Amino acid sequence: MSEAGESPTDNPKDEPSAVQSPPEDIGSNEEKKKIDVLLKAVGDTPIMKTKKWAVERGRTVQSLSLFISRFLKLEPSEQLFIYVNQSFAPSPDQEVGVLFECFGSDGKLVLHYCKSQAWG
Amino acid sequence: MQMSGAWDVGLGGLDEDAFLQCCELFLQHARSLDDGWSWGRLNGSDEGFLKKTVLVTGKINTEAPDGTSRPAEDLDMLGEDVQDGGPDDAEGTPAPPSAAAVIRYEYHVLYSRSFQTPTLYFRASTLDGRSLSLEEIWDGVHSNYRQRLLHAPWDSITQQEHPLLGQPFFVLHPCRTQQFMSPVLEAARNQNRSLNYIVSWLSTVGPAVGLHIPLSYATASSEPSGLDPD
Repeated sequence: MSEAGESPTDNPKDEPSAVQSPPEDIGSNEEKKKIDVLLKAVGDTPIMKTKKWAVERGRTVQSLSLFISRFLKLEPSEQLFIYVNQSFAPSPDQEVGVLFECFGSDGKLVLHYCKSQAWG
Repeated sequence: MQMSGAWDVGLGGLDEDAFLQCCELFLQHARSLDDGWSWGRLNGSDEGFLKKTVLVTGKINTEAPDGTSRPAEDLDMLGEDVQDGGPDDAEGTPAPPSAAAVIRYEYHVLYSRSFQTPTLYFRASTLDGRSLSLEEIWDGVHSNYRQRLLHAPWDSITQQEHPLLGQPFFVLHPCRTQQFMSPVLEAARNQNRSLNYIVSWLSTVGPAVGLHIPLSYATASSEPSGLDPD
């Protein structure tokens, strides 16, 4: 887990750090439950320099999407889509921990992300 | 199922046969989940559509367009008015008064021959039968998509006549569907991986308007994998 970053914070300009606990953590560090997420770009979407993240199980897809959007500095006219199995978009309210249980393998959850100006 | 015909219509679309096949697979899984989806068809017509009705809690305006108050029945549904008047309330609040209510959403998936993609039609009404206005529909758009959809609203949710039923529905306009679907399809093609277009597309656009697709659709409704030659 050499490049694992911390969970998305409110300040996306911070370099990822494996040390600091994000404010939303519940309970002590021992009870902190994070899963490894590997982010992969689809199509022409920019590739994130840091692809591997440790994310709290309770974090939602929407929260992750917002983080990636800020990280990539998306325009208001652009929408970010996130996929599991490269083709299914989980509901934005879905928790990543649940996605990990269903679609994780080799100890990580691979999520593909795709930005698009198009909608409808 | 190799949807070889699908690639001919444009990188992000599918032909009508593929649409029907995908719908059939979708419905098979829906039946196993008792998920509420069914196939709608008019008598004497070959054309059909996926359809589903759900009840959700949402917000409705309690002031009618003419300025009068709506009937109180809607307000009793789930308790307190979410915008209780109080000492801190400013006079002449710009936002119309609203309340939590149970809303009946009806979703239809039809094939668009002009755009060669599926199209999501939907309508919403209160339990006493009042149709939601476009403003109320926009209020219900999921926050994950609001910024992008509001950036170009004319391009996204419009009101149109249902092609088969002839009644007014809201539509997620399909003009750009191919654009956001093509990277997903292309990746699948390049990896010789099959996917169900309806599942991919509906899982992407549905949540914006309250329609959530259970995770099990991700693996259940396409050709079993693991048989691809390397």
